Amino acid sequence: MDYARMKFYCDEHRCIECDGCSVACAEAHELPVGISRRKVVTINEGIEGKEFSTSIACMHCTDAPCEQVCPVDCFYIREDGIVLHDKDKCIGCGYCLYACPFGAPQFPRDGAFGAKGAMDKCTMCAGGPLETNSKHERELYGQNRIAEGKVPVCAAMCSTKALLVGDAESIANIYRTRVSARGHGTVGVPYGWDKAYTK
Amino acid sequence: MANTWGYGAMTNSMNDIQNSKAIIIFGANPAVNHPVGFQHLLKAKERNNAQLIVIDPRFTKTAAKADYYAQIRPGTDIPFMYGMLNIIFKNGWEDKEFIDARVYGMEDIRAEAAKWTPEVVADVTGVSVEKLIQITTVYAKNRPGTLIWAMGLTQHTIGTSNTRMAPILQLALGNMGKAGGGTNILRGHDNVQGATDMGCLSDSLPGYYGLAEGSWKYFAKSWGVDFEYLEKQFKDKSWMSKNGFTLARWWAGVEGVKNDEAIDNAGTHLKALVVLGNGITSIAQQAKVKEALDHLDLIVLADPFVNEAAVLTDKKDNVFLLPAATQFETSGLVVATNRSAQWRYKVVEPLYESKPDQEIMFELAKRLGFYDLYVKGMMMEETKDGKLQMIPGKTTFIWPEDACNEIARIVKTIGLTGWTAERVKKHTDNWHMFDELTLEGTGPMKGEYYGLPWPCWTKTHSGSPNLYDTSKPVSMGGMGFRNNFGLEKDGVNLLAEKSVTVIGSKIQGGHAEITKDNIEKVLGITLSEEEKAMMGANWKVDNSNLIVQKCMEAGIAPYGNAKARAIVWNFPDKIPMHREPLHSPRPDLATKYPAYADKANHFRVMTKYISVQSAKDYSKEFPVNLVTGRLVNLNGAGVENRASKYLTALTPEMFISFNPDLGASLGVKNGDMVWVHSPEGTKIKVKAKYSHSVAPNMAFMPFHFAGHFQGEDRTANFPAGTKPYANGESANTVTNYGYDIITQIPETKGGLCRIEKA
Repeated sequence: MDYARMKFYCDEHRCIECDGCSVACAEAHELPVGISRRKVVTINEGIEGKEFSTSIACMHCTDAPCEQVCPVDCFYIREDGIVLHDKDKCIGCGYCLYACPFGAPQFPRDGAFGAKGAMDKCTMCAGGPLETNSKHERELYGQNRIAEGKVPVCAAMCSTKALLVGDAESIANIYRTRVSARGHGTVGVPYGWDKAYTK
Repeated sequence: MANTWGYGAMTNSMNDIQNSKAIIIFGANPAVNHPVGFQHLLKAKERNNAQLIVIDPRFTKTAAKADYYAQIRPGTDIPFMYGMLNIIFKNGWEDKEFIDARVYGMEDIRAEAAKWTPEVVADVTGVSVEKLIQITTVYAKNRPGTLIWAMGLTQHTIGTSNTRMAPILQLALGNMGKAGGGTNILRGHDNVQGATDMGCLSDSLPGYYGLAEGSWKYFAKSWGVDFEYLEKQFKDKSWMSKNGFTLARWWAGVEGVKNDEAIDNAGTHLKALVVLGNGITSIAQQAKVKEALDHLDLIVLADPFVNEAAVLTDKKDNVFLLPAATQFETSGLVVATNRSAQWRYKVVEPLYESKPDQEIMFELAKRLGFYDLYVKGMMMEETKDGKLQMIPGKTTFIWPEDACNEIARIVKTIGLTGWTAERVKKHTDNWHMFDELTLEGTGPMKGEYYGLPWPCWTKTHSGSPNLYDTSKPVSMGGMGFRNNFGLEKDGVNLLAEKSVTVIGSKIQGGHAEITKDNIEKVLGITLSEEEKAMMGANWKVDNSNLIVQKCMEAGIAPYGNAKARAIVWNFPDKIPMHREPLHSPRPDLATKYPAYADKANHFRVMTKYISVQSAKDYSKEFPVNLVTGRLVNLNGAGVENRASKYLTALTPEMFISFNPDLGASLGVKNGDMVWVHSPEGTKIKVKAKYSHSVAPNMAFMPFHFAGHFQGEDRTANFPAGTKPYANGESANTVTNYGYDIITQIPETKGGLCRIEKA
């Protein structure tokens, strides 16, 4: 049996740009204002027939490009596919930001001459390499809800259940059900999946 | 609404929208204002391929999810709906059987609709002939359809007419009294339905009993208080039945406020203001509100956050901020938009010195010397013979359970009898046992609907998920329209026709509301002398609840089974008529569709209509249509949200959004500061934000900001440590004068302004 592969999916037919996910994320992990582990993006705002919104964070890609370009090898990929990194190793060089197709890596903006400091990004609420649910882990990486058996806070908060997270098969099932229920469109690949999960 | 068919509340529920084949929204933006509830609309699209139609001046987040969108000029919903009816009648798409059996006065609507050809409608509303025909066809061909509205329909001088017009459209299509249909009016705040049900208005006692002497006597009896004692609290008896001031225009009653509008307030003025959790900086005419605050003798503001009225005023003495507890620090019953009850448990004890609202009121009652009378009703009960007595052995009350039970005991009009604290808690605790779609319970909750949506006639009743549905027995929430306007009008029958029989009813067709005088005749029963002695005069004031009980046995709703009325003969417009906003961008149409005559003593103050509208052509000086509304991250006056750094970060500044085309013609770039001027001579300084969602002759502003006033930063008035992260001008400093003819709600959704680069 394959180990469950965790994926994010945001249904742009359901996302209404309420920002519940991004605010819940910031509150839960007590992020500094300006660090957006998750962002809601609206395309073609106000244009009839063209406007849509979607919620974007680290997609926890297979063969994550961030991991491949990191000069200090601070990234590691869990068995369930969640991509995490070690802030104590990170040198804040920003290579990962250039490699990431989703603009996920975040860097502190304050400090003299825009010094970057360690990168911060979505952990899929799975903490980091430190002792699980320790104070130190919480300070550096935020909550570790996965270890507590909880859904990541963004998906838990999503007002319309546009944002889903879970193992690949469950997500694909929900996606397929919604597309066929709508009775139009084809069961293609969800937005972002071609870049994140093709390999 | 209430004047059309009996109750002025959402008829179905958010959940039931999943049963709709078409959803038409006028003046509501649920994707922003009801983001969680909006999933039911999205699911309707998935389950039913429901056609979502949005009619709004702005291309909102809701419109972004719509199948059809019409950009309507503010304040022209009535012409739009008459235009739909014109097409419906012309094609014979109306539900003739439904109209004949259940509606009074549709012929007058048909006659008026004939005048509103698609071409006339296009000229008035700005929506093309093709789009009107397309939308009408889609809505008429996909039934059941539900009609949704919110403040975009109500906040106009003709708001009441708007809220009659929408039900008429639904009646014409036979969309009432069925799953997937109905008029689903969305309540805008937590427990607004409950606040309305409890009569937080100046024209009614709790439970929509009005202010008539009979109602006062019923409450006096039910509270265990002498009627004469209540009477003595007024200057004289006549004032008991008069409307008070409203939230919209209380400022006119304060001495010293420059105002040429006569008040009728027993020869005196308002001297003190006590606010319990209301953001009065989100009410129109902020300049007048400020003037009134400055002239009051006493201001008391009870809020978890600093009520920004305290920041707005220059008054230095006798302004008190009472720290009220939040909803997490108290418990009790709350009412959802669909008339259902839910118990809310306390999460934490009130922090620091804050107190829940009821404690503040109890303390006030103690100081004023009527505490014992104030809480007495919570320790009373009905005896078997319809009398009231103190509950034997009860010397103190348990909050809020006993308050909840007192409400259940007294409020019969909307059928709260079944809402005992015990039952409501049981529903909340067993939330998982109810079906998401039908609200029906399973297992131990079988035979009941979640939250016992009112009317919930008895302590064993199921609750009523969809109002006016005759396909269910009364015991399971069935009913016809309410008989509240007499048995006949000018010789025409106002009761439902023979074909409209509620399933399981002992009576074929329509019948009158039940009173002590007619109960034997209507129900075909004979009462014993004992029963007659205990029974109240009618079902609404019957402490014994015997009338309701007899009605349940006969399978009928105590309020009767009547026709809905399209004609409200006691209103200034007997059928809804289009009237241009007081400040119209189309002066030619203002001449053709003029505003009402000015109304003296409208909630105690002269309120102007035609004299404002006809004073001049405002559109020359103020060429831009202005609407206000909400943002998803902020709520109401916004002070509690602006105290959250993450919510504030999403919209850190007050802004006005308008089309880049308008920006270009004004020479204003995205991000420039602008002055927005109102016809009242007020102005605010805000940041310009380009948006394609607004038509080129329009502007939109959120109403969640305060702290600045006409260019002046007043945030130094915040007590240390209480200043929110974001502050700004209140949009309501420039929303225009104008108030509804019946309810006096301000016309914030259809005014004019002028924008100048600052």
